[in-house]
Amino acid sequence: MSEPVVIIGSGVNELVCAHRLARAGRRVLVIAAREPRDGSLLEPGWIPPAIVRDFSLDRHGLTIHRPDPWATVALPGGGALELSSDMERSVTAIRRLSPRDAERWPAFCERMARLARLLEAVYAAAPPDPLGRAPRDVLQLAAIALRARRLGRQGVEDLLRLLPISAADLLDDWFETDALKGALGAAGILHLARGPRSGGTAFNLLHHHVGSPPGVFRPPRSNVRHVLAGLPGIELRRGAEVARIGVRDGRATSVVLASGEEIAAAHVASGADPLRTLTVLADPKWLDPDLARALRHVRSRGVVARVSLMLERPAGPRALVVAPSLDDLEHAYDDAKYGRVSQHPYLEAVSAADGAAGSGRVDVHVQCAPYALAQGAWDDGRRLELGNLTVKMLSRHFPDFEAAVVTRVLSPRELEVEYGWPEGQACHAELALDQALWMRPVPALARYRTPIRGLYLCGAGMHPGAGVAGAAGAHAAQEILRDGDRT
Amino acid sequence: MLKTTPFHERTARVCVSHAWRRWAGHIVASSYELSHEREYHAIRSAAALFDISPLYKYLVRGRDAARLLDGIATRNVAGARVGDVLYTPWCDAAGKVLDDGTVARLAEDTFRLTAADPNLRWLQDNATGLEVTIEDVSESTAALALQGPASRQILQQLTDTDLTSLKYFRITAARLREFSVTISRTGYTGDLGYEIWLEREHAIPVWDALIEAGTPYGITPAGMLALDIARIEAGLMLIDVDYVPARKALIPAQTSSPFELDIGWTVSLEKEHFVGKPALAEEARRGPAWRFTGLEIEWDALERLYDEVGLAPRLPAAAWRTSVPVYAGGEQVGYATSGGWSPLLKKYLALAHLRSRSAAPGTRLEMEVTIEHRRKRAGARVAKKPFFNPERKRA
Amino acid sequence: MPASYDAIVIGGGHNGLVCAAYLARAGKRVVVLERRDEVGGAAVSEEVFPGFTFSTYSYVVSLLRPEIIRDLDLPRHGLHILPLESTLTPLANGDYLAQWSDHDQNHRELARHSARDAEALEEFGRLMHQMARAVKPLLGMVPPDPASLAPRDLLGLMRVARHVRGLGPGAFHALCKLMTMSAADYLDEWFETDALKATKSASGIIGTLLGPRSPGTAYVLLHHYMGEIDGVFRAWGFAKGGNGSVSAAIAGAARALGAEIRTGAPVARVLVGNGRATGVALESGEEIAAQCVVSGVDPRRTFIELVGAEHLPSEFVEAIRRFKFRGSSGKVNLALGALPDFTCLPGAGPHLRGAISISPSVDYLERAYDEAKYGECSRRPYLDIVIPSMIDPAMAPPGRHVMSIFVQYAPYAVNGGWTEARRAAFGDAVIDTLAEYAPNIRSAILHRQVITPADIERTLGLSEGNIFQGELTLQQMFFLRPAPAWAKYQTPIHALWQCGAGTHPGGGVMGASGRNAALTMLGSAR
Repeated sequence: MSEPVVIIGSGVNELVCAHRLARAGRRVLVIAAREPRDGSLLEPGWIPPAIVRDFSLDRHGLTIHRPDPWATVALPGGGALELSSDMERSVTAIRRLSPRDAERWPAFCERMARLARLLEAVYAAAPPDPLGRAPRDVLQLAAIALRARRLGRQGVEDLLRLLPISAADLLDDWFETDALKGALGAAGILHLARGPRSGGTAFNLLHHHVGSPPGVFRPPRSNVRHVLAGLPGIELRRGAEVARIGVRDGRATSVVLASGEEIAAAHVASGADPLRTLTVLADPKWLDPDLARALRHVRSRGVVARVSLMLERPAGPRALVVAPSLDDLEHAYDDAKYGRVSQHPYLEAVSAADGAAGSGRVDVHVQCAPYALAQGAWDDGRRLELGNLTVKMLSRHFPDFEAAVVTRVLSPRELEVEYGWPEGQACHAELALDQALWMRPVPALARYRTPIRGLYLCGAGMHPGAGVAGAAGAHAAQEILRDGDRT
Repeated sequence: MLKTTPFHERTARVCVSHAWRRWAGHIVASSYELSHEREYHAIRSAAALFDISPLYKYLVRGRDAARLLDGIATRNVAGARVGDVLYTPWCDAAGKVLDDGTVARLAEDTFRLTAADPNLRWLQDNATGLEVTIEDVSESTAALALQGPASRQILQQLTDTDLTSLKYFRITAARLREFSVTISRTGYTGDLGYEIWLEREHAIPVWDALIEAGTPYGITPAGMLALDIARIEAGLMLIDVDYVPARKALIPAQTSSPFELDIGWTVSLEKEHFVGKPALAEEARRGPAWRFTGLEIEWDALERLYDEVGLAPRLPAAAWRTSVPVYAGGEQVGYATSGGWSPLLKKYLALAHLRSRSAAPGTRLEMEVTIEHRRKRAGARVAKKPFFNPERKRA
Repeated sequence: MPASYDAIVIGGGHNGLVCAAYLARAGKRVVVLERRDEVGGAAVSEEVFPGFTFSTYSYVVSLLRPEIIRDLDLPRHGLHILPLESTLTPLANGDYLAQWSDHDQNHRELARHSARDAEALEEFGRLMHQMARAVKPLLGMVPPDPASLAPRDLLGLMRVARHVRGLGPGAFHALCKLMTMSAADYLDEWFETDALKATKSASGIIGTLLGPRSPGTAYVLLHHYMGEIDGVFRAWGFAKGGNGSVSAAIAGAARALGAEIRTGAPVARVLVGNGRATGVALESGEEIAAQCVVSGVDPRRTFIELVGAEHLPSEFVEAIRRFKFRGSSGKVNLALGALPDFTCLPGAGPHLRGAISISPSVDYLERAYDEAKYGECSRRPYLDIVIPSMIDPAMAPPGRHVMSIFVQYAPYAVNGGWTEARRAAFGDAVIDTLAEYAPNIRSAILHRQVITPADIERTLGLSEGNIFQGELTLQQMFFLRPAPAWAKYQTPIHALWQCGAGTHPGGGVMGASGRNAALTMLGSAR
């Protein structure tokens, strides 16, 4: 076949999808929209070992950054709690606040890690289909069931209990220290329009634990996107904007660029979010109304703003956390719920890698700052205010931020424009239980296929979603290859 | 609190039977007279006037109006000329019928859709991204059906529009006395007839005008019981009775495709897309599993069954609407959903869902009948619909 | 000490009584020990004020299993459930939203607010009907233990799996969503009328410390449709004589079947010897021996107080301690000299024969929850009001009325604890809220009774005042209720069983826990 597979987007998922197809002998053309202005940013997320191995990413310059301590948690009374990958060090640090919590920390980490290993296995393939009758589906289900059972009684019980509960319920069972629960609870609400008392946030906590060693509850960052973009084997069209996907007789046949150029395609895989792919890029008429309705109700409420600061002096790799307690996180969510920017948001400040250009730079995750405001709109004034608030809150705990300069504030509005995230939601579809696994983003689309033959979804809105770099793309490629030229 | 129709003031006055029933949240007459028989015969011999206002009516307007309806209906709406009326079902994504009704192209970008069930949400959900407005005019639009051989003469007295040139399944704007109406050459009786669509506030004078002009011709207000017999003779199916709309089906087995309802002729597979097309294309290739056909019960066989218990055959005067098993040999091959005695044809008729292999016209089957508390099977033959199809219907 | 009984049932709540009746029906010698002077637990009718009878605590009959009514022949013992026909939701703008039992009337009313929603409601109802059918077999089932390798559990799990896989994709995915979503999110996919979503989602928050936007609240939407598939078309009803007559009917049936019921007999502890329950000791010091003991009281009370942690494995104790109660609701019962006059629908119309729901919007409910989350009572709470004397005039003197107001949120762990002043303020907030919609209410009140979660705990013994003997949330349902591995009515103590709402399926005046427990004990559960 002479036409290439056209991949829309050049994120990690899209690039992994592209390379997987190229390795299988397909001609692949990646349409890369304009680069985000701060494209130097490192990509957060665990890279499944299969992807590292398949593309020998190590040899091509992959560097993974894990600050250690992985969290320096500001304490309300001054000082900080440092949580490290080294169990003993964390225990010692926690003991200063609560001997009881310190004693429980290793067991908690061990039990969470065991569940994370199970989740890693589930994430290593397309989502299981609990109703599937094909041998492949039944085998996959059986393998997961077997793995789950191998967790033992306690593991199975932990799993069943953990899935639906709130991060607050989980953490309250284990710990008493607000700062510790705040720092862990923050991972439970990461990118989610939820508070730590909402069900499903314990699952989100586990999701962000995947791929990390026991006792580390933040995903690593890496230059994986950069490395993948540099690998040979695919054609990369930079700076091209996709206007629409051409469909003939129910089959995707081309991609039309904003310039008007039409590129014939054997298959199309879109890394854009599912709603945009199927209702904006493709003609919505191909969706039956029930599916369209379901897709329109996929929750993708952005609640995170990104504030970039410049420090006078680089302070080395750090991850500073301001999340004093679960109640504080919950209050921040209350604000988002009613369309207000929280005045006491959860902050996580991560420094740029040592030695990198602009190494005084610190990027701050600010949650909750909702996409849709009840009153007014995101404007320069609001952004400035948020930047100043961020500096003020950080400098209260970390003196070197007093002189920090706000270089850029991206509200969910700007994140939407810059990165194409729907409503500024980095996960495309919030990672809630009803939007996970075989229901991600909606059950009818969970297997990366769409009602339009030859059109596939390969972005963060697909299983396993954001936080697992490239997995959705890899699984999508698998399905494309499985369909072969049948479609 | 049920709704009344715009004609209620008049229909209540003539409804001496006090036999009312519900139709889409309204009260309407089952029959006006003590028996519906004369009302039925008016349909076939003079003219019957039906209040059909409870139908759901939607006005679809805008640049993409044709595109919207073309994407929903199985028929080729985009190809309709102004003044055409199309009978069409519409389906869900599985190709199962949601509802059936008519689409009238009133102007290049204006359509009126009639439906048995509310469909606003379905229209809106399909209209995403289209330049179209959908207005529910069910309440504001009154509707009458004037059906029967004398209907043209009666109506012609009240309008200057030449009704002989209004062909079958065409619609025209007209003045009926001083009132603006639209008149369509359509109906649910299988006879010559018209449907008149008007503003709610003109309902009473229009009714009065029709009665006045029609009285010399034997116009008779008629209720749902008379209509039911006529539509069975005409082989026309009724939603909720002959088929379960997919939206209300509790299990997939309750749903039917247009092919299974024997209205496969409405499915325009040449269109690039409409809701349910992929499923219907597949079904067209495979052939439908079911057929909706006519059934004529053999009178001699029925008479014999009655004779065995010492009775003469007796049938209720009104059509029935229950599910009755149909057999081929010893095996159940389907079920009849409506049936009754045709006073005109002097035949016992039924409409039935049959497995395709038993649905060829002429196939000999048996239908269950209950005679003197005992279930029996009477011989029946698959018949072509419509059972009654007069020249005048289309002429 | 010779065992004179086959079984002792601790607690004469409706589940304890159902359990006792089924055991007695099988020929067992049973005694029910009730702490209070009357049976019924939370399902009691009390003449709180002279001439005015209240269903003091639980006040409607929603899910009482029809098989229990049939098996125990409850109508013969006086049970008569009268229909509650409508729900009225007064709105902030002076309008109202009514839900009627007649399809056409209901459609017309909802179409007044949104034609789209009126259409969607039919489809929604159809889906809920399917869902209820999907869930029903699980309710009557003894939950298998997912971590066990015993053939019985594996078979049970396979049965659940086969049932679930048999649902087909549409129903299965809808069920997955119902189990995981918030009521508000779920309803957002269907409806646009805020008051409709609020009123429907209110059923999802009852008895939990969750808001309508909290995941896990969608599942309870099903309960409204559950009755239908039993052929009981008016699922929600009011027991003639109040909810006490439900308990009285079950007690009557139990006695007729030979069970003994002792009131005023508080149990102090369960006697355990050699890892086996041998009987109970009453607070009076009397000891009663039995082959087995069944506890109808909640898991915390059963295991931590009556048995004692020292007799139990530590993981089990940990799981029971983790079991969440968090009572979040209270009651206000009013004796009225006149009917309330709602500004939105003045006069004494048929709407007063149904429920009146103060749930004008989802945000209203969510804000009520926000306050409770941080330990405050809602200033503007959700109210579910019925006027039983409109349905059963014998509940009040002629021309007068009784009004039952279920109130949420009133958190058990209120900041500063429950005091007299707190209770009065809570009662005032309820009356203030109601008066916004029915201004004549203040002058109509003859007497008022205010019940807080603390009162419920003290009077009825329900831990933290939780009306379901533990929150009905996903993590506390099916094989996790009350603790993993111990959801099959057995306990780590041999011959000690549980039959209260703290076991599967739990909650509401349903009786299923009591029945399932009895059948399990008798070895005939499916």
